[in-house]
Amino acid sequence: MKIKAQIAMVMNLDKCLGCHTCSIPCKQVWTNRQGAEYMWFNNVETKPGIGYPRKWENQEIHKGGWQESNSKLRLRAGGRLKKFAGIFHNPDLPRIDDYYEPWTYDYGQLTSCTSGQRQPTARPKSAITGRNMDINWGPNWEDDLAGVNETGVEDTNFSGLEKEIYLKFKDVFMFHIPRICEHCLNPACVASCPSGALYKRDEDGIVLVDQERCRGWRYCVSGCPYKKVYFNWTEGRSEKCLFCYPRIESGLPTLCAHSCVGRIRYIGAILYDADRICSAASVSDDRQVYKSHLNILLNPYDLEIVREAEAQGIPETILQAARRSPVYKLAVEWGLAFPPHPEFRTLPMVWYVPPLSPLIVGMEESEVNLDKSDFMRIPFQYLANLLSAGDETPIRFALKRLMALRKFMRSVRVEHHPDTQVLDEAQMTEEMAQEMYKLLAIAKHDDRFVIPATKRADTENMHDGRGILGFSQGSQPVID
Amino acid sequence: MEALFSKLVFQVFPYIALTVFVVGHSYRYYTDRYHWNSKSSELIDRDSLKVGITMFHWGIIFTFFGHFFGLLTPQNFLNKLGITAGMHEFVALYTGMLFGTMSFVGLLILLRRRLGKDRVHATSSTNDIALLILLVIVVFLGTYNSYFKRFDVLYTIAPWIRGIVTLNPDQGLMAPVPWSYKIHILLALALLAFSPFTRLVHIWSVPVTYFLRPYISVRRRFVDIP
Repeated sequence: MKIKAQIAMVMNLDKCLGCHTCSIPCKQVWTNRQGAEYMWFNNVETKPGIGYPRKWENQEIHKGGWQESNSKLRLRAGGRLKKFAGIFHNPDLPRIDDYYEPWTYDYGQLTSCTSGQRQPTARPKSAITGRNMDINWGPNWEDDLAGVNETGVEDTNFSGLEKEIYLKFKDVFMFHIPRICEHCLNPACVASCPSGALYKRDEDGIVLVDQERCRGWRYCVSGCPYKKVYFNWTEGRSEKCLFCYPRIESGLPTLCAHSCVGRIRYIGAILYDADRICSAASVSDDRQVYKSHLNILLNPYDLEIVREAEAQGIPETILQAARRSPVYKLAVEWGLAFPPHPEFRTLPMVWYVPPLSPLIVGMEESEVNLDKSDFMRIPFQYLANLLSAGDETPIRFALKRLMALRKFMRSVRVEHHPDTQVLDEAQMTEEMAQEMYKLLAIAKHDDRFVIPATKRADTENMHDGRGILGFSQGSQPVID
Repeated sequence: MEALFSKLVFQVFPYIALTVFVVGHSYRYYTDRYHWNSKSSELIDRDSLKVGITMFHWGIIFTFFGHFFGLLTPQNFLNKLGITAGMHEFVALYTGMLFGTMSFVGLLILLRRRLGKDRVHATSSTNDIALLILLVIVVFLGTYNSYFKRFDVLYTIAPWIRGIVTLNPDQGLMAPVPWSYKIHILLALALLAFSPFTRLVHIWSVPVTYFLRPYISVRRRFVDIP
């Protein structure tokens, strides 16, 4: 057993209102530059929809992530030799139009134009060519289902469902999904990089691009199944979400998490067994990947694991944080959060709590014996396709718990008569429900974010480390 | 006068070019590693890239190895292996024609793309365009020579080039060489001198280490204190 720590995130989609506040500080701090203006390390998509870049989930087109064949794991886009031989032209690279052609507006025109018959206009100008352009796609084109009756049919999460029904106005459903880099345990971008510029940090699992070692081969961009590595068209290098590591190191939450007005994001440490990553990612059935992923996340309360972790040099601060980790609770202990598209087999570490949704009108009273959650507007199958490779069982269980929690808290706070029966049905205890309520509904800052600050002064030779790794153009870190 | 000119061009200039080549690369590597890449424009205009770039790269790679081994291996040595000058010339000529044409056509497609596609043109620097034009000229002359100016290279240019390596270039060997060859050689040397300051530096980053490392790289931030 090789115990490693990962700083992971959970987003509670049940509470995401799609306000895009998370995207703003991220953009302002990290991608507010020429060549990076089209990149959104954090973006918020409306589901159903094909997202940003277009159809990123469809690996038939984009060839991202891993594939299992004969219990061996292969990069879907091809291995080392294929990449090496075709390095001049990557056929799987998204076009910039799949993201969108970045643009600005000719604001100067508003104040500098001569007086005339018509209102002055600020026309959109391409940020690449500087010429006038027509905007016909953008980072958030499908916001709140805009145009989804046309684009939605291409949404791969509809597989096994009659998508036409759900794209009709009467039965339509929607929810938001904010997306950042998944900081996977088995990152396909890292595996795809011919130069070895991408790496996973040993101490907190953050996946970074070494900017001085990136040679712009672009395989990481196409290799990432979540399309969260971007190519800077001015500098000729790849860039990606940093999980705000300078903030994480200081014990602060990422900008997206900190700015979230819905308080939907949770950050915490998770211990995992690095020796079992490969076997977990290469189970034969897509639907088993979620379970095998769960299995390699270690219980931080287990004394044997704690002892072993200490012996392997995991700092006490991380072990303490892992025991208080909201992420461990939501993902492992309570089974409420799920990895997006586990079938990509990268073992992502930014998980989602599936959203509850209103019951379809007229259905809720008709057949009393049926599970009410079957009448939720968002079909289970859709959520399962998104979060558990199509396996409805764990999603049902999680939503049942969320429903039970609501019923129970209603019985406590409104009816003043705690109804523990609903909890029993969802295999919950009263204590667990109270704790869930505190974390999900009250969601205090210090409960949502349990981030062990890195005490570099105690653990490292600061003299050796002086001056290295500024995050723009710093020198490269020492390679292990 | 002519002797002086010949000395400058065929004895001094190669060393200037090679010095700039070596020092320039080291300088660039230590001062500007951040921009040490191929400055790919595939993202902004992917579909127009495929044919040109593939033809050019494979063409130029084989051309490079052809030049490298063909010119640097003494014919006397090849004779011992049973490869006669005639055979050598035959192979050199026809592979040269094939790969030269491939590179040249590829380059023309790329040049047309660079100047004709709005996005690519808008993101091109003068350096990028100058480099591409220089490449077009060098490759054109080389290919032109293989088709129309056949000349006994093995006992003139080749020993002169080996002379550069052994620090004893004989400018006399270059006297009978046709001008189209001379210009090809001089521009190629100029290209070598120019290359450290262009996107060509990516040649040195051929990712051979990809085959040697495990798929997943993990790094610690600092070295642990012993």
